Amino acid sequence: MKMEDMPLSGPDNTKLEALVHDIYSELVEDACLGLCFEVHRAVKQGYFFLDETDQESMKEFEIVDQPGVDIFGQVYNQWKNKECECPNCKRLIAASRFAPHLEKCLGMGRNSSRIANRRLASNNNMSKSESDQEDNDDLNDNDWSYGAEKKAKKRKSDKNQNSPRRSKSLKHKNGELGSSITSEPYKYNYNTGISYETLGPDEVRSLLTTQCGVISEHTKKMCTRPSLPDADAVVESDSFDIPDGQTLMSRLQWEDSPDISPTDSASSKASTNHSDSRKPKKKKRTSLGLNSVGVVGVGGGSLTGGSSSSAQSNISLSTKKKRPKLSAPSISSIYDDLN
Amino acid sequence: MSKEFRMRATVNQKLTEMGERERLKELLRVKLTECGWKDQMKAHCKEVIKEKGLEHVTVEDLVVEITPKGRALVPDSVKKELLQRIRAFLAQHAT
Repeated sequence: MKMEDMPLSGPDNTKLEALVHDIYSELVEDACLGLCFEVHRAVKQGYFFLDETDQESMKEFEIVDQPGVDIFGQVYNQWKNKECECPNCKRLIAASRFAPHLEKCLGMGRNSSRIANRRLASNNNMSKSESDQEDNDDLNDNDWSYGAEKKAKKRKSDKNQNSPRRSKSLKHKNGELGSSITSEPYKYNYNTGISYETLGPDEVRSLLTTQCGVISEHTKKMCTRPSLPDADAVVESDSFDIPDGQTLMSRLQWEDSPDISPTDSASSKASTNHSDSRKPKKKKRTSLGLNSVGVVGVGGGSLTGGSSSSAQSNISLSTKKKRPKLSAPSISSIYDDLN
Repeated sequence: MSKEFRMRATVNQKLTEMGERERLKELLRVKLTECGWKDQMKAHCKEVIKEKGLEHVTVEDLVVEITPKGRALVPDSVKKELLQRIRAFLAQHAT
């Protein structure tokens, strides 16, 4: 039903407002009346004053309204300023700091063992690096300190034999690099005590051709990221004048390479994928790896032997990573960059 | 004048027919309980009853004592919200 004769302007608006207020008053009165009926019934039925029958308990549980105290009369920070004596070190510790102090003091918390390990490691580093200072002048100029790492890393490898991370990374790496890691005379992973001084040149070479080998200053761990085939070639010499792929292939072949079983089809596929990558002058491992593979693939057709497998393994690994898209230069231009 | 009278009658009729009146009543009840109005009023009732005597208090006594105070004690927020809803209803269905 429509109200055509009710415009909303001028005096009618006030009428409308009056109507609204009237409706509102009606509603409020209705609520009051409802309350009255409710109370009256409670009075007549006798349950209105039921909660006021026991005067004693009423006084006992009366609401407290004092400052510094809650409505039950209890003090809020009563135990804040109290001190407790630690059963271990017999010191007086504040109550709020008692639990964390116990954790550290008894050596049972999550962080306390970590802190202790770190402290021990740094102590060893201090003592070790001081003794090796004369020998490792050059090395100490870099960020790494070789001498101390061995001991620090060894300790860490002892400690974390069963950590889930270690086994996971080993499994992951073993799948890709095959038996290369396990066949090495020394076990190395992200936890090993590796020292480059103790390894011979052959061992260092084989180590660095398969893995990254960068030792972090902070964690003293060696990076075990699988490296790329000609990384070692770059390490050995900054430039090599190889006019064709055959010589390059023969150069790569002396590398220690794992016995992996990627197929030739995989290698050719990988090489075609990477034939368009360019080789930068600096020692960038990923792009270098790509380039060498591309070169070998183009120049030498299908690769055989250990070098190919290492190249393939590295290719397959690097395909999984993200790379910047490079243009496709000719082979001669690649060599120009190298020279 | 009769126009206005008819208009009011129609509006009231519509309110009831569409169930809006019941909804508004319920809303008001809930809001008043939430804001503590009901407890305040009950305390006042207790005083009145103690004054008049438990045996002889009548509904009329209570109504006379309670209603003016009740009207005055409704919080502004509740009042504004209700007025808003009524106005909205009128705007939607009255023109």
